[in-house]
Amino acid sequence: MRPAAARRAPLSLAASATAWVIYLLLALPSLIIIPMSFSSSDELVFPPHALSLHLYNIYFFESNWMAATTESLEVATGTVMVSLLLGVGAAYGLARGEFPGKSLLAMLLLSPAFVPAIVLGLGLYLYLGVAHLGGTTAGLIISHSLVATPFVILTTMAGLRHVDRNLEIAATVMGAGRLLVLRRVTLPLLRPTIMAAALFAFLISFDEVVIAYFIAGVRTQTLPVKMYSAIHWEISPVLAAVSTLLTLLSLGICVAVALLQKDR
Amino acid sequence: MRLGARDGAVFVIPATIFMAAAFVAPLLMVIVTSVGGTDLTLAHYKELVSRPLYITVLWNTLQISALSTIATILLAYPIAYHLARQPPRRRAFLLILVLLPFWTSILVKSFAFTVLLGRDGTLNTALIWLFGPGARLPMLFNRPAVLIGMTHYLIPFAVFSILASLLAQNPELRRAAEIMGAGRLRIFLTITLPLSLPGVLAGALLSMILSMGMFVTPALLGGRTDLMISNLIDFHVRETLDWNAAAALAVCLMVVTGLFAALLSRVRPGQLLGHEP
Repeated sequence: MRPAAARRAPLSLAASATAWVIYLLLALPSLIIIPMSFSSSDELVFPPHALSLHLYNIYFFESNWMAATTESLEVATGTVMVSLLLGVGAAYGLARGEFPGKSLLAMLLLSPAFVPAIVLGLGLYLYLGVAHLGGTTAGLIISHSLVATPFVILTTMAGLRHVDRNLEIAATVMGAGRLLVLRRVTLPLLRPTIMAAALFAFLISFDEVVIAYFIAGVRTQTLPVKMYSAIHWEISPVLAAVSTLLTLLSLGICVAVALLQKDR
Repeated sequence: MRLGARDGAVFVIPATIFMAAAFVAPLLMVIVTSVGGTDLTLAHYKELVSRPLYITVLWNTLQISALSTIATILLAYPIAYHLARQPPRRRAFLLILVLLPFWTSILVKSFAFTVLLGRDGTLNTALIWLFGPGARLPMLFNRPAVLIGMTHYLIPFAVFSILASLLAQNPELRRAAEIMGAGRLRIFLTITLPLSLPGVLAGALLSMILSMGMFVTPALLGGRTDLMISNLIDFHVRETLDWNAAAALAVCLMVVTGLFAALLSRVRPGQLLGHEP
């Protein structure tokens, strides 16, 4: 890695320029929606003719978008709780424990991340139907926890690698039992990691569409499912306002996670 | 501190029970449904290979996935290379530019592309303004739109994977080559690129796994007749109510992506999810 002051060959300038063009292409689609969301008319044009909060007004007060948003918030909150409870424990056991079949078990616990969502959606649609959980909020929370838990496990295992084992050993030597060490030493040191994992789990659930599309009922329609139908059947301009809010949420969570992991 | 055999397992038990009940059981149900329940018939699989529609959809899926994987790698490499050469603080900032699209809802992206590429969309408006009314191009509800949407979705995954292999390289190697008089291009071609190929391969395999199962992008940006496997599964569940056929298709998809996942775990055992290093 050469310092920036070193002479820059035209070749590396070209490489940087290419990279910047691609950064721009990555960001552009979501960014172009933001000015459109302040359009005063019911037409999606770029740039908008006049600025107004018209579309936000519809989203918040004059439509059933809020009902879908509330459902998504409920499901995402439930998913955070279930996946943290299952995932943090599993990560601790996998990272600090030593038992036969450990790597096989780790594979099982992480594999939902590799099965296409459409397959999970079909399976859960058939399964939850039999279990009389089809179309319920509980069914959605179970399904989303399935997808979020592998991410919680991976994030927590990465965090545990940065927790100094010597501190745990010192506490044990001084007579603390295993649970006391976990509660007073390991978990407090893991707090930023667990918060990052919680944010990930929340966003995974809040944005998940394929499985929810299969199992959500009329009364449990989540925000992404409603967005999917709105894009599929009629391009409703309110989508610009919803998309802008979702982009801001993603940005907020990205920055929060970056700050949480900065001190490592 | 090491946990004993019993203690370690205790912490993993709740997650294991949950996965058995909510993950393994539904997948088993898909498999059972695909063979017609207790009928134990392979009829639904035979239908998959005998009807031209299924062959076309399977071929579409492979073609779209392969093309978007190639485009993804070509666009992800320059970003990963650029990121790898930045000092850590600047890299952390630039990474947000890749992480933001990574964490942006696929629906936001799909909506953005319908607005950008549509008949009266931003790009067509610009084309007409520049070249007159004849310049309008059909850019939405066709194959190119699916490829654009999919590549845009896949790039961050490939960037993380390639970046990890670029950062793992020993900088001394390049310094040694530089001292011995090698130019930048030669260093790149003989050292950096070959050493990053495992990351490229992992990124490509991950792109294949993700794109073959894509549902939202082809459903919202693709043509009504240009289906991928996922859309056909959805069609059978919703329109024809033929769950057996849907399940047989799902099993095929699972087997193919499973093969790619097995390859991926051999290329890059530690970094299965291609996630942030």
